[in-house]
Amino acid sequence: MNSTTWKETLTGQIDGDMSEEIDIFETQIHLRKQGKIEEKLFAETRLRRGAYGQRYDNGQRYDGSKNQQLRFPDVPTKGPDTAWDAPGMMRIKIPFGGLSTEQMVVLADLAEEYSDEILHITTRQDIQLHYVHIDDTPDLMRRLGAVGITTREACGNSVRNITACPLSGVCHTELFDVTPYAQATMRFLLGHEDCQDFGRKFKIAFSGCRHEACGLANMHDMGAVAAVREIDGKQVRGFELYVGGGLGAVPHQAQLFSEFLPEEELLPTSQAIARVFARLGEKRNRNRARIKFLIAKLGIEEFCRLVEEERKILPEDPRWTEYLQDLHAYDETALKDAQPLNGAAQDSDFTEWKRTNVYAQRQAGYSVATIALPLGDLTSRQTRKLVSICERYVKDTVRTTVEQNIVLRWVSDADLPALFADLKSAGLAHSGAGTMVDITSCPGTDTCKLGIASSRGLAAELRKRIATKGVELDEAIEGLRIKISGCFNSCGQHHAADIGFYGNSRKINGITVPHFQVVLGGQWRENAGSFGLAMGAVPSKNIPDVVERLSQRFIEERQKDESFQDYIQRMGKRDIKAMLDDLTVVPAFEENSWYYQDWGDTRTFTMDDLGVGECAGEVVSATVMEIAAAEREVFEAQVHLEDSDIDSAVSVAYRAIVRSARALVREQFYDVADNADVVVGEFRTRFFEKELFSPQFANYFFTAHQEGTLGLDASSAHRRIEEAQLFVEGAYICYDKIAAELA
Amino acid sequence: MENLQRINVKLYLQDPSSLSGEAAFRIFNAWIAESSEEVLVDVADYSHVGHGPITLLIGHEANYSLDSDEGELGLLYARKQPQEGDLSNRLVGAINAALSACRRLETAPELEHGVSFLGNHLKITANDRLHAPNTEESAFALRAALNPILDKLFAGGQYAVDRDETDGERLNLRVRSESDFTTEMLLTNLAD
Ligand code: SF4
Repeated sequence: MNSTTWKETLTGQIDGDMSEEIDIFETQIHLRKQGKIEEKLFAETRLRRGAYGQRYDNGQRYDGSKNQQLRFPDVPTKGPDTAWDAPGMMRIKIPFGGLSTEQMVVLADLAEEYSDEILHITTRQDIQLHYVHIDDTPDLMRRLGAVGITTREACGNSVRNITACPLSGVCHTELFDVTPYAQATMRFLLGHEDCQDFGRKFKIAFSGCRHEACGLANMHDMGAVAAVREIDGKQVRGFELYVGGGLGAVPHQAQLFSEFLPEEELLPTSQAIARVFARLGEKRNRNRARIKFLIAKLGIEEFCRLVEEERKILPEDPRWTEYLQDLHAYDETALKDAQPLNGAAQDSDFTEWKRTNVYAQRQAGYSVATIALPLGDLTSRQTRKLVSICERYVKDTVRTTVEQNIVLRWVSDADLPALFADLKSAGLAHSGAGTMVDITSCPGTDTCKLGIASSRGLAAELRKRIATKGVELDEAIEGLRIKISGCFNSCGQHHAADIGFYGNSRKINGITVPHFQVVLGGQWRENAGSFGLAMGAVPSKNIPDVVERLSQRFIEERQKDESFQDYIQRMGKRDIKAMLDDLTVVPAFEENSWYYQDWGDTRTFTMDDLGVGECAGEVVSATVMEIAAAEREVFEAQVHLEDSDIDSAVSVAYRAIVRSARALVREQFYDVADNADVVVGEFRTRFFEKELFSPQFANYFFTAHQEGTLGLDASSAHRRIEEAQLFVEGAYICYDKIAAELA
Repeated sequence: MENLQRINVKLYLQDPSSLSGEAAFRIFNAWIAESSEEVLVDVADYSHVGHGPITLLIGHEANYSLDSDEGELGLLYARKQPQEGDLSNRLVGAINAALSACRRLETAPELEHGVSFLGNHLKITANDRLHAPNTEESAFALRAALNPILDKLFAGGQYAVDRDETDGERLNLRVRSESDFTTEMLLTNLAD
């Protein structure tokens, strides 16, 4: 007789603990439906199972003229203000991006039966399914569990997916294959009791070398870069370990924890770090709860000392070193013999694809082929076709990448033309992997609840425009990376791009216009070695012109072999700003309403603000002008920093914060003194305590006020300027709220 | 098979170039604002991928999409939430909803040049590998429930039903009638 549930069908096929955990989660779903679990608790529970909220799950959607109430039942909820029936996102952890064909088949099945037939690769090698109903999640988890995939701790305050270079094991520049270490760390920390009391998420990445970008170790809470030392005449493996890196609203470069951590110390040290983070990390203020803030507070030396102390008292655990006995368990083999690509003439499409998408492995006769996925998406049908293609050319040697692509490893060189033809018939043979056209984007307003502007819409538009240039792209710009985030939270990793953008908005005559902040000069290589700086907000619809102009000017003005980062530095912010100035202008709505829609959307962006009366408009303009003036001061501060005048940079950035805060305070207390002490007090009681202003950004003000403006080094000054920029963004958002209430 | 709830129905455009992803995006957005009988949530643009949805209208009860399947463009209705009644009722419900959506597109004033759907060709997919695996046995059970509905739909005319036996695919039945119908006629036939 056929089984009637997946639970029955998959009995015995799912690891015992995982199976039990999923059963418990299913019970929790039932209890929540009966109102027997508090909604906040249920929300954190489902997040730790990878079930995330999605845009409009509060039942409100702007239809272009008004907020439309989506008719979801009021009860139950799956979190505060989150309708039970609202579709959600399922994040599926793919450790180091490694996938088997069996797993790909199941992912395609799940995308069809529970989602929208789309598999989305994230910037952390996860796979996300969107528009999933919470009631379907236990079966979805069981079906994943049966092929060895967990969604546990894919979201929530936990150790997230552990990423690693997609070329591990086949790369020319790696010191050794980091795959088994990434896998062991994932297994060890998953559900570990020392990782259950974090105030915030914890992200780990592994890299096989220091120079390339693939591992992005510098922008992770913990980054491990392969290192080898000769000890007593023997080559010993270990890691250069970094801690406290992260993007988010204010990016932090990771700091060196250890120049050489022997391999047997990797897991116990990770555990000790987790313990210190759990014990001392911020818990109440989410916005300062990542480990980077703890390290900034303690200082790296003190943090290291505490971890070392903790390490000494850890009870011995055999798992720390067990996996080292069998490091070769993860070695991959090829399906076919290594054969050279014969010299026969190939068509130009193949030649171009091979030029940009094929990497010759360290192992002669084999290559890695990159499947460049527009916006990180592929359909279930394409996934199924890809499975057949994999079975024809490789074994289970498939990995997702942080650039939202998929790589097939161990392709025999002789098979490349046939592989290309098969990929082409599946719509998977886009060339340009790792070039300017291969744009990374977070989900933005498409599905993310926090998205301000359409990062995917912009990415699609840029892709279209750049792709039409194709092979004509000048070699100076071809390799530039473009990365886009829908808001300042940086999930699109814009800080680490040559050309980055993050979504924000500006009011023009009382109407909100989608904008993107332009962030230039970040470094992707060297494991995301340095971050870019904000250059100013440009209306969303002018961003393609920004890219075009920057590219053109770089081609024309580049000095011999000059990098884009060096070019941006040489030009300086003043000149770059002048270069983009005309693109910041937004015509009046009546003149050109196109600017008032976002890319990839047909609705007018917050059109309801058109109803704001003229009187309110007057008041608005005075306040907005002050905030805009503060924004200009932030820019000035950046110029001072560029001129190495750190004290001026810091004091002007602080002045910008006070100015925008005072502009808001004046909305309620017109005669407030122009004195920082008074402004900070008034701002605290009127905006911060009344929760009218982002607490995260408000804290930048309070901290800056307390710390003063003298004696900061260049890196702290950089951070202070970023914070000032975000405070100004917060002031715009806060003002919009007040204006909407007045209207 | 009797437990099958997730039923997809696809109808094909007569002229694939008559409905662009962008036009579908605008129309689907308008449907959200106008919806009264079902909860429609959002529209997603997937025109950058091939072999799947191009423009997707996400709903609570069901999704609608402009769908490309090996280059065959059409309107795909994908039922997600359970319907009342036995399998036959649920199949009728899904076919009716798919036809109604096609009809709505055919009469959409936004489409200057109009679109029309083939009334002699549809695909029924059992989107549930647990309750309806792609086996001859399931296909037999699905056909048994479907045939009386198709008799009615095609007014007693001849039709053929073929199963897609591709490995890994869901249970798919392609239905082709010998005579031509409009979607309006099919809706009337189904209601009789
Ligand atoms: S950057 Fe912002 S919009 Fe993009 S996914 Fe992160 S939170 Fe959402």
